[in-house]
Amino acid sequence: MKIVIMGCGRVGSTVATRLDAEGHDVTIVDLETQAFRRLPDSFGGERFAGSGVDDRVLIAAGIREADAFLALTQGDNRNLFAAQLAKHLFRVETVVTRVYDPLRAELFADLGLRTFSPTRISADLAYDSLFEGR
Amino acid sequence: MYIIIVGAGNVGYGLALELYGNTDYEVLLVERQRQRALLLREELGELVVEGDGTEVTFLERIGARRADLVIAVTGDDAHNLVACQVARHYFGIGRTIARVNNPRNERLFQLLGIEATVSAAAAVLAQIEVDLPEQALIPLVKLRASGLEVVDLHVQEEAAAAGVALRDLELPERTTISLVISGEGANVPDGDTVLRPGDEIIAIIDQQAEPQMRALVSAPLPPGAEPREPAP
Repeated sequence: MKIVIMGCGRVGSTVATRLDAEGHDVTIVDLETQAFRRLPDSFGGERFAGSGVDDRVLIAAGIREADAFLALTQGDNRNLFAAQLAKHLFRVETVVTRVYDPLRAELFADLGLRTFSPTRISADLAYDSLFEGR
Repeated sequence: MYIIIVGAGNVGYGLALELYGNTDYEVLLVERQRQRALLLREELGELVVEGDGTEVTFLERIGARRADLVIAVTGDDAHNLVACQVARHYFGIGRTIARVNNPRNERLFQLLGIEATVSAAAAVLAQIEVDLPEQALIPLVKLRASGLEVVDLHVQEEAAAAGVALRDLELPERTTISLVISGEGANVPDGDTVLRPGDEIIAIIDQQAEPQMRALVSAPLPPGAEPREPAP
């Protein structure tokens, strides 16, 4: 699968490394070239410096040929914007978006995006851990 | 009418001042940056509130449910898009206007049904074109759904269209000449109407046909001159 990932933070770099190791064709985009230091030397995918909310950057990163797009920057709105560019303008089949705000994550899931909220997931985990083994 | 303006930069601030004092409108200006919000609050008081215009819980608190109109005019297109989408789809606000900073993003706003988009670059271009009297074609209104637009044409000396009856003119497809304004006033033309230099025409044309229409009513170019690049 050809996969474009926006955001090379801890989550972006980890999932990029895993997908690359599994043999997928991965391109990771980040504004800061320093962010690519999070990738291991073994990473065989492409590193692309630029803003994922700019359609020209996405095109240069190969969004037209991509089967999947993951929006994983720190900014909810940036992620939602880039994800909708990928889905509606470039017709990427699978688009995954991280949205910290749980309400916004739900709303955009209702609008047809595949979203997940780390806030909700962490809160649920914290809660479940509290009562584990009681 | 309750209007929420998201973003208190120059555009949002100017807009709020414009609407402020009109008793038909209840206006709230939302600004995310604390310093900017505090500064404007000193001047405008309760009109300004600090908060994130894309966040559901904040919008709930400022009464977004009863808002009639949201205008998102920050310098960030992602923020403007999401503010309008949250307003429409979460709060059911019927009218949203987004400022589109990068004209290349206008298409995405359209695709997502954020109909009223105001591109600063396009507005400035339109203003420039209105101010230039020698312009042969001035776009007035774009009709998005049909790809048509209303234009104002000025027939120049020695233009290809001058001195020719309308029925003999080769017009681009989907062209409707609605009104011909001459020294005698405005008239609805028919096939016998002959265009004269100095006439002004209101026409509905295909948005793609601007270059052809411009060429028809423009004075011929001097030999060797380059045709003017059409506005983007």
